[in-house]
Amino acid sequence: MIIPVRCFSCGKVIGSVYEEFKRRCEEYKKAIESGEKPKETPKEILDDLGITRYCCRRMLLSHVDLLKDAAPYE
Amino acid sequence: MVKIESADIKEREARLVISDTSPYFVNALRRAMLREVPKLAIEDVIFYENSSPLFDEIIAHRLGMIPLPTDLDVLVPREECTCNGEGCPNCTVRYTLSREEPGMVYSGDLQPENEKWRVIDPNIPIVELFEGQKLILEAEAILGKGKDHAKWQAVVAPGYKYYPIIEINQDKLDEDSIKKAIEICPKKILEEKEGKLVVKDIEKCTLCKSCVEVVEEGAIQVRGDETKFIFTYETDGSLDAKTLIIKAAEILENKFKELEKLIG
Ligand SMILES: [Zn+2]
Ligand SMILES: [Zn+2]
Repeated sequence: MIIPVRCFSCGKVIGSVYEEFKRRCEEYKKAIESGEKPKETPKEILDDLGITRYCCRRMLLSHVDLLKDAAPYE
Repeated sequence: MVKIESADIKEREARLVISDTSPYFVNALRRAMLREVPKLAIEDVIFYENSSPLFDEIIAHRLGMIPLPTDLDVLVPREECTCNGEGCPNCTVRYTLSREEPGMVYSGDLQPENEKWRVIDPNIPIVELFEGQKLILEAEAILGKGKDHAKWQAVVAPGYKYYPIIEINQDKLDEDSIKKAIEICPKKILEEKEGKLVVKDIEKCTLCKSCVEVVEEGAIQVRGDETKFIFTYETDGSLDAKTLIIKAAEILENKFKELEKLIG
């Protein structure tokens, strides 16, 4: 639905970095698609954002944003 | 007597080496941090209008999870307050949020009555509003404890491990087994120096004993020191790491004093 505020397992706040993570990942994807060498990989982005434990990393990596689909049903 | 051998305390995370103690003491400290240290979190939310895609309850829950700056010298728990649980500035912090235009609503949109209480992390998404949707609410934050709800838990991932002890018998090692041991270590803490196997960074050892298994019996011994611990924890930002551990120690002290009184 929408990115959870905190990691389910450890409680670290992860919601605040989601939009930056998504933006930087899209840059990575664009670079890969156009055959260029990406500036950073998703692994490096997560490390740089300070998301070190794998419980928190999966929160960002496995998230699917579906809020837009629910938007018409208030 | 408990000793702190090294302390690396940053604002939001800390790493301590505690020696001359036992697992029971370190665990008591860990549990006091988890369950007993009070912090501020949103408890009651009054919705005036919510036409967003999320239910009132979900938004209230998300608001509760947002870390708020906590000043334990100023605030008192509501049950102990002179207002008898009605809610006054000594025990309650009020926030308002009002958004009528489309776009993401962030934790930073919460308006505190006093700038002192402004949300630490303004970039947490709460809900996205689309054309014609509105969100107007009022929220009340109070002090609480981790044992009642995770939103009142200031500490994140507190943990400790035995301080590693690695004993190497160089006579039982040859070039080939040294190579094998270095290779298999998942944390890469072993290295070769002048034909000898040496430990680079002992604190990174996870006591996995992979290196013990690939060499001759007795060549390497790995065990944990049961009187020395590496204790690590983080905070969600509502309290800084130093205040948090001092508060936990105070709470433990008061609990034992109480016990003493009850017995004595
Ligand atoms: Zn986590
Ligand atoms: Zn009061």
